[in-house]
Amino acid sequence: MILMKRSEGGVATLAVFLFLTALASAATVEGQVTLPKARSAPVVNQRYEIVTKAGVLSTNPPVAVVFVEGSFPRPAVQPVTEIRQKELIFIPSLLPVQVGTKVEFPNFDDTYHNIFSFSPAKRFDLGRYRSDERPVPAQVFDEAGLVTLRCDIHEHMRALILVLATPHFVVTDAAGGFKLSGVPAGRYTVKAWVDSKTTREQVVDVPPGDATVHLDFP
Amino acid sequence: MSRISESQVTRVAGFRTRLLVAIMLVVTVVTLLALYFAERSLVANMAEDLEREFESQVVALRHAQDVRSAALVERCRALVRKPRIRAAFEDDALDLLYPTAEDELRDITAHAGENPGPALSAQFYRFLDQKGGVIAPPNARVVGPLTPAEQARLALPRVTAIPQTGYIVRRDGRGDGIAMVMAMPILSIETSEVLGALVLGFRPFDFSESGLSAGMKSGLWMDGRLHAPGLAPEAAVAVAREIPQVLAASSDDETSGRLDLSGRPHLLFARHLNPDSLFPAAYEICVYPLTGLDVRKQQLRWQVLGAGALLLLLGWGGSHVVAARLALPVEKLAVDSEENRTQRVRAEAALEMTSAELQRSARFSADASHQLKTPVTVLRAGLEEWLAKEKLTAAECQEVAALIHQTYRLSSLIDDLLLLSRMDSGRLKLAFAPVDLTPLIEAALDDLSAQPDAFDVEVQTEFPPALHILGEQRYTAIILQNLLENARKYNRPGGRITLRAAADGDVVRLAVGNSGRPIPAAAQAHIFERFHRGVMGENVPGHGLGLNLARELARLHQGELRLVCSDGESTVFEVTFRPAAVPAAAVG
Repeated sequence: MILMKRSEGGVATLAVFLFLTALASAATVEGQVTLPKARSAPVVNQRYEIVTKAGVLSTNPPVAVVFVEGSFPRPAVQPVTEIRQKELIFIPSLLPVQVGTKVEFPNFDDTYHNIFSFSPAKRFDLGRYRSDERPVPAQVFDEAGLVTLRCDIHEHMRALILVLATPHFVVTDAAGGFKLSGVPAGRYTVKAWVDSKTTREQVVDVPPGDATVHLDFP
Repeated sequence: MSRISESQVTRVAGFRTRLLVAIMLVVTVVTLLALYFAERSLVANMAEDLEREFESQVVALRHAQDVRSAALVERCRALVRKPRIRAAFEDDALDLLYPTAEDELRDITAHAGENPGPALSAQFYRFLDQKGGVIAPPNARVVGPLTPAEQARLALPRVTAIPQTGYIVRRDGRGDGIAMVMAMPILSIETSEVLGALVLGFRPFDFSESGLSAGMKSGLWMDGRLHAPGLAPEAAVAVAREIPQVLAASSDDETSGRLDLSGRPHLLFARHLNPDSLFPAAYEICVYPLTGLDVRKQQLRWQVLGAGALLLLLGWGGSHVVAARLALPVEKLAVDSEENRTQRVRAEAALEMTSAELQRSARFSADASHQLKTPVTVLRAGLEEWLAKEKLTAAECQEVAALIHQTYRLSSLIDDLLLLSRMDSGRLKLAFAPVDLTPLIEAALDDLSAQPDAFDVEVQTEFPPALHILGEQRYTAIILQNLLENARKYNRPGGRITLRAAADGDVVRLAVGNSGRPIPAAAQAHIFERFHRGVMGENVPGHGLGLNLARELARLHQGELRLVCSDGESTVFEVTFRPAAVPAAAVG
C-alpha cells in the first residue's frame, strides 16, 4: 500500500510513442513506468531481490514488468529459459515467462539447493540437488500467475516467476524505462506489473506498420 | 575458731549460704535467659536455613526448568524458521501447512499423542493464523488429538513476535493432565512481520519428579482452580483456599507463604509461570511439608536443654566455689573482730575494776582521815585542858606538852593524807591565778625561823622582788613549806639552807638546797614515794609524805619537782612553775 502511494506521488512523464518498423507490421511500445522508491536497505549488487511487505511481493530495487494483454497464439516451439542459483541467490530474481515456458534451474553453487514453490499457480518441489545434477531440473509453467520460488535450505533465497498469457513482455530498467517491440497492430490493454498486488494498465492502439507508441504508467 | 560463739558460727554460715543462693540465682537466671535466646535464635536460624535450602533447591530446579524452556524455545524457533512453513503462510498455501509440518516437525512430534511423552517432545501442535485463531488441522491424529475445548484454548487474542507460554488442562482417560503450550511466532524473513504462530504442547516440567525435595507436591493454579494430582483432595482444597491470599499478598512473580495442612506446617510457593503472556495466567504451586523442621526443632530443643542442665550444674558448682572463696575473708574478719571485741571487753572490765578500786581506796583514805581528825582534836583539847587545870609537876607538864605536840603532828599527817587522797581521787582541781612567790617565800622563811626545834642553820636566799607564777596560793605555799621543812629536817646542825627562785625562759625555777648528808644513790629513786624517809629518818620528825605531796602538787601546778643533785656539799630540789603575767595591781 505504501509503495502504491509512493508511486502515485512520484513525478511522471507521460508520453506515448508509436513506432512502426518498416520491416514488419510490428510496432514498438516504449515508455516509462513510475516505480516505487527503492528500499533504504543497501543493495549489495545490482541483482534484484524479492521482498515481501504486508504479503506484497516486489523486487528490490524495484522494477516492473510491462506486458501486452490479448489472445496470442501459443509459440510453435516451447520456449526455454533458466533461473540460475549462484552465490546463494536466484538470477534473475524476477522472470516473466509466457505460459508453457520451460524454466531450468541450474545450480552453480558448491552446495545443495532445494527449490520449491507453494504458489497456487505452480506448486512443485525439485528436491535437493547439486551442480552436477543432470538433467538440469526444470519445470514447465502452464498456468498464468505469480510463482514464488524458494530454497528450502537457504531461507533467504527468493525469486518470482511471472507467468503471462502473452509473448509480449519486457522488464523495465531500474529507472522504469521499457521498450517493447514486435507488437502487432491492434487495440490492446498494456499492463505494468509493479508488485504482486499492483498492476497498472493502459489501453493503447498500436497502428500497423513500423510505428512507435509512447506509453507511460504513472 | 574455738573462741567464736555458736551464734557467730551460725551467722557466718548463714552469710555463706545467702551468698551461695544469690550467686546460684544469678547464674540460673543468666543461664536460662541465655538458653532461651540461644534456642530462639537457633530455631529461627534453622527455619531460615531450611527455607533457604529449600528455596535454593527450588531455584536450582527452576533454573533447570528455564534451561528446558530455553531449549524448547530454541527448538521451536528453528521449526518456525523452516522456509516451507513460511512459504505456506506467505504464498497463500495454508492447505499445505499441516502436510508440510508433518514432515518438518517430524523430530519434535515423534511422540505426538502420547501423554506423557518424552520431556522435549511435543504432545501436539497447531498453527495459529495472523489473527490468533487456530487453523484446524486436516488430520488430528498426526498433530496430536485435542478436544474442541482444549483446541479452542490454544487460540490467542492476537499473535505477537514474542513467544508466549501458557498451560492448558487436558482430560484424557487417566484424569487431569497439564500441558505446557508454547506459541512461537512465524515471522517474515525480511520484514519480521508476524504471519502466524506455531503452538506446541509439551509435558510440563514436574518438580515432584526431580526427587530433590522429598514430600514436595506441585500443581498448577489457573483460572481460579488448582490442578494438583499429587495432593490429597482435602489438602488440595486447603491449598486452593490459601493460594488467592498468597498471590494477593505479593505482586512479585514469585511468592511464598505458610499454611497448615492437617495440623502440619507447610511452605507454599507460588510462581507465575507465564508473566506477560497472552495465555491465561498460570501459577506453579509447590507445597513443601516442614515436618523435618519440627523433628529437628525437637532435637535442638533437647540438645539445648541438655546443654542448659550441664551449664547450670557447672554454674552451681562454680557458685559454690566462688561463694566459699568470697565468704572466707568475711569469716576471717568475723573471727578477728570477735577476738578484738573480747579483748576490748576484758580490758574495759579491768580498767573499770581498777578505777573502782582506786576510787574506793581514795574514799577510804578520805573517810579514814575525817574519822581520825575528830578524835585527834578531842584528844588535843583534853590534853590542853588537862595541862591548864591540873597542878602538874614540871616533868608532867613537859610530858603533856610533848603529847600535845604529837597531836599536832597527827593532825598534820591527817591533813596531808586528806590532801593526797583528794588528789588521788582526782577531786583536787586548782583554781589557777597569778601567785607572787616572793611574799610566800618570805612567809615560809618566817615560819621556818619560828620552828621550836630550829637548828642553827644559815639561810641564803636569792629571789627577785616579785615573781609571778600560775597556781593556787594555798597549795603553792604547801610546796614551799614542805621543801623548806625538808631542807631544815635533813640539815646538819650549823648547816645552810639555800633558796633561789628565778624566771628561766618560759618556766620559773625554785631551788631549795640543804647541806645535810647526801642521799645515797640507791635511795634517790625512792625519795618521792609515800612514807619514805631518809636513812636517818628515825632521828628526824615527820611521816614521809612531804616530798610526795610536794611533787603531786607541783604536777597539779603543771610543773615538776625533782632532785637536782645530792652530793657531799648539798642536796638540791628544784620545782618548776608556769610563769604568769604580772597583774596590773601588783605592778602598781
